[in-house]
Amino acid sequence: MASERYSFSLTTFSPSGKLVQIEYALAAVAAGAPSVGIKASNGVVIATENKHKSILYDEHSVHKVEMITKHIGMIYSGMGPDYRLLVKQARKMAQQYYLVYQEPIPTVQLVQRVAAVMQEYTQSGGVRPFGVSLLICGWDSDRPYLFQCDPSGAYFAWKATAMGKNYINGKTFLEKRYSEDLELDDAVHTAILTLKESFEGQMTADNIEVGICDASGFRRLDPSHVKDYLANIP
Amino acid sequence: MSVLCPEIPTPGFSFENCKRNAVLETKGFALPKAVKTGTTIVGITYKDGVILGADTRATEDTTVADKNSEKIHYLAPNMYCCGAGTAADTEMTTQMISSQLELHKLYTNRVARVCTANQLLKQYLFRYQGYVGAALILGGVDVEGPHLYMIYPHGSSDKLPYGTMGSGSLAAIAVFESRWRPDLEEQEGVQLVRDAIAAGIFNDLGSGSNIDLCVIRKGSVDYKRTFDEANKKGVKQASYRYPRGATSVLSTRVVDIEEVAVQRIEPERMEIA
Amino acid sequence: MSILAYNGGAMVAMKGENCVSIATDRRFGIQAQTIATNFEKVFQMGPHLYVGLPGLATDTQTVMEKLRFRKNLYELKENRLMSPKVFAAMLSNLLYEKRFGPFFVEPVVAGLMPKTYEPYICNMDLIGCINPPNDFVVGGTASAQLYGMCEALWEPNLGPEDLFETTSQALINAFDRDAISGWGATVYIIEKDKVTIKNLKTRMD
Repeated sequence: MASERYSFSLTTFSPSGKLVQIEYALAAVAAGAPSVGIKASNGVVIATENKHKSILYDEHSVHKVEMITKHIGMIYSGMGPDYRLLVKQARKMAQQYYLVYQEPIPTVQLVQRVAAVMQEYTQSGGVRPFGVSLLICGWDSDRPYLFQCDPSGAYFAWKATAMGKNYINGKTFLEKRYSEDLELDDAVHTAILTLKESFEGQMTADNIEVGICDASGFRRLDPSHVKDYLANIP
Repeated sequence: MSVLCPEIPTPGFSFENCKRNAVLETKGFALPKAVKTGTTIVGITYKDGVILGADTRATEDTTVADKNSEKIHYLAPNMYCCGAGTAADTEMTTQMISSQLELHKLYTNRVARVCTANQLLKQYLFRYQGYVGAALILGGVDVEGPHLYMIYPHGSSDKLPYGTMGSGSLAAIAVFESRWRPDLEEQEGVQLVRDAIAAGIFNDLGSGSNIDLCVIRKGSVDYKRTFDEANKKGVKQASYRYPRGATSVLSTRVVDIEEVAVQRIEPERMEIA
Repeated sequence: MSILAYNGGAMVAMKGENCVSIATDRRFGIQAQTIATNFEKVFQMGPHLYVGLPGLATDTQTVMEKLRFRKNLYELKENRLMSPKVFAAMLSNLLYEKRFGPFFVEPVVAGLMPKTYEPYICNMDLIGCINPPNDFVVGGTASAQLYGMCEALWEPNLGPEDLFETTSQALINAFDRDAISGWGATVYIIEKDKVTIKNLKTRMD
């Protein structure tokens, strides 16, 4: 592998101490489809836009909300192909954990491990950072969890947050709307409202995706279910 | 997986003790035997699905190491697998394949098929050339209907309407050969499987204790752990309890375990400007 | 002779009412020759968690160190104590990794589950096949004798004092019929708020 020795990391510090590749990756995220996550008292919701450029696309064939284990789910803002690799890794890591400890992986542990993968891509030769930020939601030891993972490998725990296009407006909206004793149903409602803030065109059950996680586990809401929520939105 | 921070410990089998153990063997120290399941395991197809059955004895040479061992392993919500042979191998192999099936389910968004599980299991066993000593009966129901596979330790497999494995397989197959027929009712099937396992328990010394059953239909599973206790233990007639103070003690040390005080921090309200 | 019987040793763990016991002999020998009578085979792995590793003494110590390493790493990573069940799963994983070149130990795990303080015991073979019964587990060269003693002496819902008596007598009487284990014994009684460790007076022949 002599050639590898000369394929330096793209993420080299600039003289001012910045890793510009990571900043570019964050720019890719900020240009990506918006996504929202909100923690409620009895669960957690994640939602994202899934708009297609042409009506010719077959909707519901590719999902943005993905299940990692029975009690953990994930969405992203940014580049779809990069996301799929992380989903695959996350699922494998969750299974590997289960095989060793015979106990489902705690959400925090999964987040840390996914973040470690993302970090590695900011320091290795011949690779580029991931062009995605992840929202990982989970339920363990009787409480909900919501995390965000950035291309740098940094991760944060949120009560509610927004990512992707217009995320600043989304966050401001959530700051106004959020309360500690939110029920899951209300949280789903608020999540959809947040997406709607910056939504261009008509929002339907076919161009957004919602996932919820509570004591009974993680599941992606099917379009008919999303439609019911949309019906309650003016 | 990670190059920069390799996993500690590295995944996969490790062979670092092999050389030492081989030397010990040449010096006349016999290598110990692992726990075997002994075992009678069976499976049949019936009208609406499959029924798996197993005894619950695990043996270490001639000693009963586990009187109530669980030999019907979970693979997927629609699939279970009986294991005979080296107990650790059947347990670990089914756990590993169960993990792979779960991943397969997540990747494909479909219920995994029984033939997929069969293929994963036989390829894994073939790779280890029979050194992973697992003889399995795989049963499940998928879109194609009920399926039953016998999988042998060297990696061959059979798709059969009914079958038995393990040291009690001869006793059990005799029951099936005389009474199994296509399209059995569930009730009849359960009775037949029970009788086949009982034949193993009472006629094979490697099999014993209770009867576990697992009925898999389309969309539902009935796992009947300890379906029948073939050998009820008698009630102890007297207590052989030693009186307190019977044991002479040289020294005593008491380690107090402090309750870890958990201080709950009330969440602060989010600043809303 | 089996390599598991090279150094000798006996071990037993029992479930009681809100308590568990684990007991071991203290002999370290090389075949028939006794080298020491203060050899440790039971190790503390947490406030309510103990593991016994009877078998080849060199592997007893190696496996203990590997276990402690993995357990500490887990506790640092996850910022919580390891439960006996998870510990047993991890130990089983460690042993099965060496499926084709095993460590010669047949471990015994005893402890109380965190939060619920529910008793947990299990033993496993040298390649990590877990056996978690609800009465007692045994290990080591006197295991045949121990099975006999325990089947007769064990009864459900023993309190800590009676559990101590039952465990001690099962162990002592079993290893008195085994030439290569004995020479002193240690009994650990694990309860919610304390662990009582007693050294027993036994035959020294």
